[in-house]
Amino acid sequence: MNPQSSPSVKKLTEIFFRVGNTTFGGGYVTIGMLGRELVDTRRWISSEKFDLAFALARVTPGTNLIAFCAAIGALICGVAGAIGAVLALTAPSSALAVLIAYGFERWQGNRVAMAAIGGTVAAVAGMMWATIWVILKPHVGRMTMRGMTRNLQVVLITGGAFVASRIFEFTPLPIILVGTLIGFLWKDAKDS
Amino acid sequence: MNLLVLYLLLLKASVTSFSGLGSLPMVRNDFVVERHLLTDHQLNMAVVAGRTGPGPFGLYLVCVAYAVGGIPGAFMGFLALITPAFLVIPLMRWIGARADIPRVRSAIRGLLLASAGLLVSSSVPLTMDAFTGLFSAILMAASFGVLTFTRIDSAWLMLGAAGAGLAASLFR
Repeated sequence: MNPQSSPSVKKLTEIFFRVGNTTFGGGYVTIGMLGRELVDTRRWISSEKFDLAFALARVTPGTNLIAFCAAIGALICGVAGAIGAVLALTAPSSALAVLIAYGFERWQGNRVAMAAIGGTVAAVAGMMWATIWVILKPHVGRMTMRGMTRNLQVVLITGGAFVASRIFEFTPLPIILVGTLIGFLWKDAKDS
Repeated sequence: MNLLVLYLLLLKASVTSFSGLGSLPMVRNDFVVERHLLTDHQLNMAVVAGRTGPGPFGLYLVCVAYAVGGIPGAFMGFLALITPAFLVIPLMRWIGARADIPRVRSAIRGLLLASAGLLVSSSVPLTMDAFTGLFSAILMAASFGVLTFTRIDSAWLMLGAAGAGLAASLFR
């Protein structure tokens, strides 16, 4: 690696700023773009470490993409790199999101703007269901005995959480804790 | 609303979720159901604002905080959004060596499945709020289909939905 291409907090922050604030489509798209830049082009991090950061970001509470940026930043430039990466990715896009929210407020009385916003509200409802499918899809098994056991687990935990929340009006925290406990006790054959 | 309380409520939602929109059930419970600080429609608008620009899907938390507490609230929302991310640093050292333990993987799956069930629960009222007739139902189904079965960027989808909403209003 030549000195010009060696990583620094400043360079790292610039990359996260550029990629994070020009990429639409959520976490997976941004992670793909960052992989291309940091692993393939600049070789600042190995693909193994990149994969480790990706896996751990998925089990870190909060938004996966932000945790992923903190992990990659920390692996390349330590804690300063983690802070720089997270701020570069989230601060400008947060400011833009607030501006958009402000615009929505101002346009409440505008029939044309509200018609356009009404279309996007419906699209977001569809997106929510797509997100649910993305979460569930890797856990749905095939039509084999083992696959059916996995599916039973999906139905019982997901369905149970839905019923507990929607019908019995339990708050989310105990539902999440019970779901985790059931997962811990009911070990799937695939995990053995 | 007290900014510290706002931060802590959003932090609770953020810390107990494992994806951008995963915090939605907790946010809806605290801000719509329990405290009546937002309506389902306002929550929907916050989600839309968060999804319209670039960046992670969790940005809607900043818009929720803005709707509740203005610019200072938005800053608290921003802090609540990024705080949990730094847990990954000790996690890399601690869980990195244990990530392959079957029980740990299994517990994480249980957590994800419960989160999905909660997301279904909070998506139902938000979907009902967004439903205004056949046209909105078609847009919802199209949005689900496009994101599930194609690789089209969600930004194009939002743009298309806005255009469709606009076009529909002109023909009414």
